[in-house]
Amino acid sequence: MASTHPATLRLQSLNEKTASDLFQRRRHHHDPHEDGDHHNILDISVVKQNDDSSTMSFSGAVCRRCTEPFGPTEQIVNSVGEVWHTRCFVCAQCFQPFPDGVFYEFEGRKYCEHDFHVLFAPCCGKCGEFVVGRVIKAMNNSWHPDCFRCEICIGPLADSGFVKNAGRALCRECNAIEKAKGLGKYVCHKCHAVIEEGHIKYKGEAYHPYHFNCTTCGVELNADAREVNQELYCLRCHDKMGIPICGACRRPIEERVVHALGKAWHVEHFVCAKCEKPFFGTRHYEKKGLAYCEIHYHQLFGNICFVCNNVIAGDVFHAFNKAWCVSHFACSVCDRKMSQRWLVGKGTIQRQIA
Amino acid sequence: MSKLKKYVEECRDQKNTELEIIDKGVTNILEIPGLLELGHLTRLTLSHNKIPSVPPTITNLYSLETLNLFNNHIKELPTTLSSMTKLRILNVGMNKLSSLPRGFGACPVLEVLDVTYNNLNENGLPANFFQLDSLRALYIGDNDFEILPPEIGKLKNLMILVLRDNDLIALPREIGDLPRLRELHVQGNRLTVLPPELGNLDLVGSKQAFRGENNPWVAPIADQFQIGVSHVFEYIRTDTYKFLYGRHLAADAAPPPKTNDKSKKISRMG
Repeated sequence: MASTHPATLRLQSLNEKTASDLFQRRRHHHDPHEDGDHHNILDISVVKQNDDSSTMSFSGAVCRRCTEPFGPTEQIVNSVGEVWHTRCFVCAQCFQPFPDGVFYEFEGRKYCEHDFHVLFAPCCGKCGEFVVGRVIKAMNNSWHPDCFRCEICIGPLADSGFVKNAGRALCRECNAIEKAKGLGKYVCHKCHAVIEEGHIKYKGEAYHPYHFNCTTCGVELNADAREVNQELYCLRCHDKMGIPICGACRRPIEERVVHALGKAWHVEHFVCAKCEKPFFGTRHYEKKGLAYCEIHYHQLFGNICFVCNNVIAGDVFHAFNKAWCVSHFACSVCDRKMSQRWLVGKGTIQRQIA
Repeated sequence: MSKLKKYVEECRDQKNTELEIIDKGVTNILEIPGLLELGHLTRLTLSHNKIPSVPPTITNLYSLETLNLFNNHIKELPTTLSSMTKLRILNVGMNKLSSLPRGFGACPVLEVLDVTYNNLNENGLPANFFQLDSLRALYIGDNDFEILPPEIGKLKNLMILVLRDNDLIALPREIGDLPRLRELHVQGNRLTVLPPELGNLDLVGSKQAFRGENNPWVAPIADQFQIGVSHVFEYIRTDTYKFLYGRHLAADAAPPPKTNDKSKKISRMG
């Protein structure tokens, strides 16, 4: 940015604490409240100035550069209270007059624009051009403020600051998203912010629940919301829609439903009350509101044959708190099958001897 | 004898897996021609005969699951019995056994052992007897046990334990270590107290049985028996009873005398 100050042209010694109109050098101090990823931005502003050439004659004045006096008709360059021969008012590097009278001053020397850039101006890390005016020093490089952008969303970083993430300069928002992805957190598909807790899934994407309202009652959704046929419902409305709830886990059943004991169950949650193995459609036995597999029903409620120790299918003989299957209900003394008539003797069964 | 041969041949030809020769006056298993060649046999019943011993070659019947020798004259069983790998049920009740063979506890799958009405006592059991942890039912009623070895607690699968009509003077505390026990018969012994550990077991209910008549119980237990078995169990679970039981053990009183006259037992004769 070039600005001209023809009336107030004067030189000042360069001092970091001096806020000069002509030449400013600003430092961004490291802010201790920022976290470690943030970097100092060194920002040098150079203000170009036009010289003020005048034809006024100064008696007794000498040239600032060669200390010779001036001829009576000689053109004198006057800049901030100092005077030069026209031939002496040149670039300290190339000794050529300043094109269009524009010069840059640094540490008491004046430079033409080209040489000043060559000597002092940094190159932009993105476009490779000299950076004139505000320089962003970051990521071990210099940048035009407009060239220093977030590598993900391409938003400008010059004024908002940036975060270094895996060698990339990112804006805070993109960095948070990247970080969340690394931690396994969801990023809302609508607002692209991290979902700190309680996301909902809708058409396969994760969202903040509060972006949606229940299709039925219109209430703002929370993480308990459910998707049914590509519509979202709050839990209350969802439960009222006639979707069966598993009697074991109390969650809705969206796949196969088992109806038993007057309740609905997930196939894998309808289990034997004793061994807790799922029945998976095999036969179960109900007793006092509980379901049992064949083995445990008989083990608990009696019908295991005393002789073969197997579950009794078919008729059961009961005696002495024990049970027998038909083929094993035999005299305990002679092993003959029992007819109609049998006797009880000291805890065993015996054929009646006619 | 030809009759016995006919049974065996019939069984072999029809491939019957079960054979019964009951009350036929058999005096020697080896006299039944071809019997020990029936390798496919799963059940052999020889009850009510006059068999005095079991030959070691009984193991030829390698498929045997059930062997019934009830009411014979057997005085000794062969040690080879423990190598019958499928034998689940052995009934040698009403015989003349005074001991079980050495190594008997190695029977791999024995589930039901019936030695009712013999002349056995705690000294007649082989050292490894209580390794029979597959045992579901143990019938040792009508024998001469005075002490039930505490190793009984190792028979974790025991559901039925019949100790009736022995000479038992006490039950070991380890009886409380049999979580599956559903039936316990201790009637007709010389018991005065029950170990409080018995209270760990559930022997009250329609699927369970506990019988304790004809014992010289101490008065508090006898009183509870009067009102019912469930009261006995409630009582022996109390701290009062645990204290009383401890005192009773400490007193170390002489056991009650034997009351059963066994001189007329068939197992003693001959």
